[in-house]
Amino acid sequence: MRTFRVMKTLFKRDFLYSLYSLGYYVAIFASFFVSSFILKNFLDSIGEEDILVSAYPLNYPLYITLVIISLYLVILSGISISREREQGTLEVLFYGPVTPGSFLWGKYLKDLCLGMVALGFTAVYFYLVSLFTNLGFTLGLVKALIMSVFLLSCVVSFGLFISSLTGRIRSSVLALVAILGAFLAIQLGYNALLGFEKESLSVPMLYVRQAMSYVFRGISWISPFAYLSRGLDSVVLENPFLYVVNIGYAVVYSLVFMFLSVYVMNKKGVKA
Amino acid sequence: MIQTVNLTKEFNGFKAVDNLNLRVEKGDIYGFLGPNGAGKTTTIMMILGLIPPTSGKVFLLGEELKPNNVEVKRRIGVVSENQYFYKEMTAEEYLTFFGELYEVPNVHRRIDELLEAVGLRNDRNKKLGAYSKGMQQKLAFARALLHDPELLILDEPVANLDPTSIKQIRDLIEEENRRGRTVFVSSHLLSEVERLCKKVAIINRGKLLAEDTMDNIKRRLTDTIHMEIELSANAESLSTSLSELPFVKGFTVEGNRLEVHLKTERDYRLDLSRFLYEKGFLVLTMKTKEMSLEEAFITITQQNISLLAQGEGNA
Repeated sequence: MRTFRVMKTLFKRDFLYSLYSLGYYVAIFASFFVSSFILKNFLDSIGEEDILVSAYPLNYPLYITLVIISLYLVILSGISISREREQGTLEVLFYGPVTPGSFLWGKYLKDLCLGMVALGFTAVYFYLVSLFTNLGFTLGLVKALIMSVFLLSCVVSFGLFISSLTGRIRSSVLALVAILGAFLAIQLGYNALLGFEKESLSVPMLYVRQAMSYVFRGISWISPFAYLSRGLDSVVLENPFLYVVNIGYAVVYSLVFMFLSVYVMNKKGVKA
Repeated sequence: MIQTVNLTKEFNGFKAVDNLNLRVEKGDIYGFLGPNGAGKTTTIMMILGLIPPTSGKVFLLGEELKPNNVEVKRRIGVVSENQYFYKEMTAEEYLTFFGELYEVPNVHRRIDELLEAVGLRNDRNKKLGAYSKGMQQKLAFARALLHDPELLILDEPVANLDPTSIKQIRDLIEEENRRGRTVFVSSHLLSEVERLCKKVAIINRGKLLAEDTMDNIKRRLTDTIHMEIELSANAESLSTSLSELPFVKGFTVEGNRLEVHLKTERDYRLDLSRFLYEKGFLVLTMKTKEMSLEEAFITITQQNISLLAQGEGNA
């Protein structure tokens, strides 16, 4: 019970502080700005062609909004532990009743709640878009927004894990950029190799393609952004089983990374 | 209140703390001394459970310290060497936050009392980023006392303070000790330790060299006690009889002033007074010329002298 009280106190301080920070609103505004730009192009093309070819016209703009919010959250959670380590405030917290578990779950809840507030803004934004464009605020969109809560949970737990490994803000940001960059590079490289006909590739390149397919499959279980794509795909496929399975995957992913973070923090301690 | 048993910490083969055995009793003001790099902060970090020892055990408040034993940690207050704050918070917000963490009852009244005690009442609504080092140190004190801990662990508690603030903090420590709080102080300011502490431990290169009351440490470092005595009459006639006393190692006489060098096996002041009285002299003043803690500290650490009995302190 006392651990929950500690978590709540840590959550409250951090959440209110982040809620009053400008960066949070800049990220949300940026995501809406990019989505609006995509929507404008989409609406222009509908105007020109006079035909709507998608059953879920708002899903792609929603995906882009989520990616931007996720990038903000992964950086926010990615520096949350290392910042307190670097500033020494973590040490002071650990003089008292704070444990790695209560500290990390407090941070997780804070970042997830920030994500949920951002999703609330997103829902309002897409509702207004649907009113102005007649594109329809569908049940699919509601499902996608609910699924997003679990996907943001993956992003936050991944960020916290990276932060638990690093001692300084700069190292956390560099690690995040390097890891996410590597994920992206492998995905692009694999896609590029898939573009070639099998017969046109030399034997070594075929091996490279095969090896990359294994790496790509591995990454699709590690990268939180892969869960984002898969989760939203399950909404488009209208497959309830797949929808629930993806939520399950996201919950397991979050738990695994949170427990790993607590383990690493116990091992690494409070010093930068 | 604190006991370490063969506490050892190695960093890449280097022993920062080597088989350290400390014992701090309830009600003590215990000074923990050592030159830079002696292993003081590493020891404190292990006592607080912030770094795990390579081997050995720590007992805090009668319980063996296990990782994340927060119930024990709730009963201790800590002021570290460097102060770390959430700079965007005010002193009041900061203490309220810690008050909630420690579940302090009547937290706002307690904050008022403590801010008054450390002289920060008028700065309670100032952002901590604008606090001077001295103010930060005082606020750290207020935070450490907020939850009324049984044990205070202070690492260089007056390092950044001006003389007035040092006195303020010293008075506060003494007051808290009078209320029954045990205080463990690590400091470089030997004069402060000498004024405050009843018992001290001296470590060097990770090893405990001395742990005793201050008087005992000084006594054990010297084989002679110097007494300065002022008598009622000229003492030249005493020369022959003084030299015959078995506990006198030497003396000098200058008019009615006498300086006597005594052996250290026990306190010979009474024997000396009786002797002088029997010879018809009245003692007007008698002073022991003591070794200061600073002298004792330098002697112990520079010559790496161990004042521990065999098997004591370092196993």
